[in-house]
Order: sequence, then structure tokens, then C-alpha cells
Amino acid sequence: MKTLAVVVTTPPYSHLTITALTYVETALAAGIKVIGVFFYQDGAMHANENISIASDEYQAIAHWQRLNQQYQLPLHICITAAEMRGIACDSIDNEQINQAFTVSGLGELVELTTKATRLVQF
Amino acid sequence: MTSSDQQVDSNLSQENGLAIINSKAPFSSNYGKDALDVALIFGSFEQKVSLFFQGDGVYQLIANQDASLVSIKDYLKTFSAFEFYDIEDIYVCQQSLVNRQLDEAFHINDVQVLASVEFGKALNRHQHVLRF
Amino acid sequence: MSTLHLVRKSAFTTNDFAQCLSVLDQQDSIVLMDDGCYNLKHPLMDSLIKRADSTITINVITNHAQARAIETLAEVKHIEMVDLVELTFTHKKVITWQ
Repeated sequence: MKTLAVVVTTPPYSHLTITALTYVETALAAGIKVIGVFFYQDGAMHANENISIASDEYQAIAHWQRLNQQYQLPLHICITAAEMRGIACDSIDNEQINQAFTVSGLGELVELTTKATRLVQF
Repeated sequence: MTSSDQQVDSNLSQENGLAIINSKAPFSSNYGKDALDVALIFGSFEQKVSLFFQGDGVYQLIANQDASLVSIKDYLKTFSAFEFYDIEDIYVCQQSLVNRQLDEAFHINDVQVLASVEFGKALNRHQHVLRF
Repeated sequence: MSTLHLVRKSAFTTNDFAQCLSVLDQQDSIVLMDDGCYNLKHPLMDSLIKRADSTITINVITNHAQARAIETLAEVKHIEMVDLVELTFTHKKVITWQ
């Protein structure tokens, strides 16, 4: 079984994130088991519900949400990276956090890395 | 899959563990600290992790730096704790040192200075690579 | 096949591409993507192509190069995202230079 774990370090407004998204969606469509996406560094900003990107531009967050629903793709944000970027992670029903994302620690990255056949960083 | 199964898997494959390449100078960004946090968590989960320093990343290892002079919390001091996390393989790109006119004077012990080919070979001994 | 190198930065701005080349092994493959496509016109590319007539494969993501109006080279293979997914598993590991 080909399994893939992906690390995303770029923020939702970065055009580099589009490449990560296209790659992950292509892998999922090809039947690759993507065991999780770990959002680290500026990638953690994806979980911020207050981010608003002009409607005629690429909606990275909405696309991650779609992949999460369509393929049950696990999306983990690093709690330390999120908190230093103004996303409060202290309660479960936090309105500031996009519900498609799971607040995780770096231990989740260890878990994904040890389970995955391939680890790809974007 | 149980944890013992995974252990067998990683022993069977020729390459194992995580390699982290550090490519940024220590003080102007969080990259070094972010990489350090990943290394320490892998160490505390008893997963093999090796550190590679290349390009401006070699500045993270140079002796006699003082982050406090520029009001930065000195995360480089934590490097001395690597042995407690069983992080034993620390590699530095020799060419990167030469290019920057740096001596092999580091603030931690047991650093291996490698020529590019050997540096690449050491990298190849790992199953996964992250670069910061 | 050993390592798949994803090059995402222009060598006119950063040393990432040069660092990638310094650890490149005979069996490795390179994929130029995002601003890494600009490296097709960088002097480092000449030395790489000289090495590439051995066993190193150089690829570029077609629409990433096209979007940037970059002329491509005969020595460079054009691939799509689906090929990149395949290359991920035909190589033993992936290193992203960004």
C-alpha cells in the first residue's frame, strides 16, 4: 500500500500552497492513501477562520476543506505554530479554528512520518 | 499495524529515520528553532533523527555566538542536549564552511564535517527528509 | 532510483538549487517547479545537463514553466502533476528545496 504524508509550511495566501494542494488532490485521485497533511510554520495559518481572501482569488482553505470532506483527508495543524500566529487553540469548540482542521502537536508529525511510505514537504 | 511491526519494517529497509537539513542562519528567522523542535520531538519519541547543516545553516553551529545581544532567546544552547535525546548524527557540509571562511569550531561536540559527496551519502541513509 | 529533488526556488535569488546539486547522486531525478522553473536559464543548468547525459533525469512541470513563459530545453522532460505523484513512489525519498 502506497501511503503518503505531506507537510505544508506555506500560508493560505501563498501561491506555493496551490502546488501543494494540486499535488495532494492528484495523489488522492490516483488512489494513493494520503494518511495526513501536517501544517507547520506558516502553514498553520490555514486553520484561522478569520482569514479572508478576495473571492476572485484561489481559495486554498476552501479547497483543503473540500479534500477533507471528499476523501476524509486528515488535516493537522501544529498547535505551537498556530498559537504564535494568533490562533487560540485552548478550547475544542473554538470559533477561531476552521473545523476541517485538527489541532495537533508535533507528535502527530512523528506518527505520520513513521507510518508513511513517503513524506513530501511543501 | 503495531509499533513492533513498524520497528521491524524500519530495520528491514536500508534507509531509516528522518534527516533534517538546516539551511538558514540562526537569528533572522524561526527556521532553526522550528527544525530544532521537530528534531527534539522525534528524539523524545525514540525515533532516529539526524541533523544536517548546509549553506547558511552552518552558522547555527558556530562557537561564541551570543543571541542575547540582539534580544533573542538562545535556542542554540539547546543543541547541547542532543545526546539526551539520542541525536547522535550531526553532519556539516565542509564546502559551506569553506565558502564562509569558517573554522571547524562548533559550540557542540561530535559534529562530523563531510565533503559534498559524503554529505549526500549520509543524507541518503535516511528514509525521509525535511528541510528548514 | 534514489532521491527525487523538488526545486521550487530560482537560483537567481537563493542558493537552494546549488545546494541541491551539491548532494545530487547519479540515480537521482530533479523536478523544477514553481519558481524553480527559472533555473532552466541559469548557468548552473549547463553543468547539470552535462551530468545529465549520465543517469540524472531533469523534469519540469509543464504548466509551471508555461505560466512563466519559460522556453524549455530538449534535455528536460515535461511532466504533469500526476507524473510527479508517480515519481514520488518510484524514488526512495523526496527532498524539497524551497
